[in-house]
Amino acid sequence: MSENSINVKNVSKKFRLYHEKRTTLFESIVGSVNRTPHYETLQVLNDISFNVKKGESFGIVGRNGSGKTTLLRILSNIYQPDSGSVETNGIVVPVLALGLGFHPDLTAITNIYQSSILLGISKKQIKEKIDDIIKFAELEKFADTKLKNFSSGMQMRLAFATAVQVDPAVLLLDEVVAVGDLNFQKKCLAVMKDFKKRGKSIVIVSHSSTSIKELCDRAMFLKDGSIEIIGNPNDVIDSYENYMSKLEK
Amino acid sequence: MTGIREEMWKTRGILFNFAITDLKIRYKNSVLGVGWSILEPLLMLAVLFFVFSEMFKFEVDNFPIYLLSGIITYNFFKNGTTIALSSLSNRSSLITQIYFPRSIPAISSIFTASIMLIVELAVLGVFMVYFQFTPSLTILYLIPIYMLAFVLVLGIALGLSVLNVKFRDVEFIWGIVLHAGFFLTPIFYRFDMLPEEIRNILQLSPVVQIVEMVHHVTLYGTLPALNSILYSVGSIFIILGIGYLIFRRYQARIVEEL
Repeated sequence: MSENSINVKNVSKKFRLYHEKRTTLFESIVGSVNRTPHYETLQVLNDISFNVKKGESFGIVGRNGSGKTTLLRILSNIYQPDSGSVETNGIVVPVLALGLGFHPDLTAITNIYQSSILLGISKKQIKEKIDDIIKFAELEKFADTKLKNFSSGMQMRLAFATAVQVDPAVLLLDEVVAVGDLNFQKKCLAVMKDFKKRGKSIVIVSHSSTSIKELCDRAMFLKDGSIEIIGNPNDVIDSYENYMSKLEK
Repeated sequence: MTGIREEMWKTRGILFNFAITDLKIRYKNSVLGVGWSILEPLLMLAVLFFVFSEMFKFEVDNFPIYLLSGIITYNFFKNGTTIALSSLSNRSSLITQIYFPRSIPAISSIFTASIMLIVELAVLGVFMVYFQFTPSLTILYLIPIYMLAFVLVLGIALGLSVLNVKFRDVEFIWGIVLHAGFFLTPIFYRFDMLPEEIRNILQLSPVVQIVEMVHHVTLYGTLPALNSILYSVGSIFIILGIGYLIFRRYQARIVEEL
């Protein structure tokens, strides 16, 4: 346990796929009388077990809809697994596709405060770090601008900068490696390397084979919610690319 | 249970933060800002005062104070529950991206409503000075009465916040309930003007009880009857229990519905 920062054991997750979703009370009353099934279940994750060691970066690849984001959400406690267990050691910070839970009507600064407090950082600590975050995200001019006026690249930069400054034990990155221009990418890579050196773990979800090969010590290929192969990134990427090119035909 | 409490303690900083951002977003791009929270009950007061004291010649002593204290108390109930109602559904981007205890938005909504309540009570104070009305010391009992109201709103808020994610029409149903409640609560009339049969039914509402208590301690300088206090405390904690059970039943899966 002590050398692992994430332990995932036999995690399964089903979703209900609604044909006609009963979102109103009236519909669900009518629906409870008329008992035709209105949804089918979709097995998103099926018996997933793996662990991530401290100081390791772990890549996850797979087609769209293969359960990658769901898995990240389970790791960060946003979703509850139906069965199985997830143990994490220390703060887990997810940087998912749309940012860090930012609110469009709040300024960059207020959003940093809100997200960091939610991630378990005290107000005092954020105050000390806020300048670094803004500077890292290269948003000095836009610190008091509402987030709805940000470009998507700016939002992702802000999310990444905030997540890094929270200094979590585990950083979960969903398709964010390619964010920003070349210089920003270089900065991100340097930060991630430093992270690993200090014994922290990174989980990266990406469609880019090169970034998985470059960044990850180990990787996993998710196929329709099950682990197809787990191990050396090169082998995993080979198997993934093989599978994808077969699909093309 | 201890786990939940521990989590709540760790994230307590966000309670106040949410309450403030709620206010900011509520009054974003508005010139008057929080002034709206004063203006709204005042306009209500003006209309009701005109209709009932001029047109219907209602006989209620200190009618402006009676009216305003009732409106303010009902507003607290209305604001707390309506802000909480949409507190989870409005934060879908936050909830799907960061984990935090799901009860926090509902609880912080009541803090938002409490801030508005304090502002409105200050206005009530100004009115008392203007109408040269000196309340007796019993007015200090407003503090425990509003604490009780806080618990009532908390119970309803917890339940509504998760139900509104599951069933979007809860919002409209609750709007109707609040509208009806306003007329069924002794805000612009005296409770003893109603026939006894109707009073017996309306008395069951803890909101009626709380508004009556507020009238007692601010206007009449008397304490509410003991059985009224016992009934209110009992019913309010039962509502809190029901609200908590509804919340606990739905909270874990609420993200998937957003």
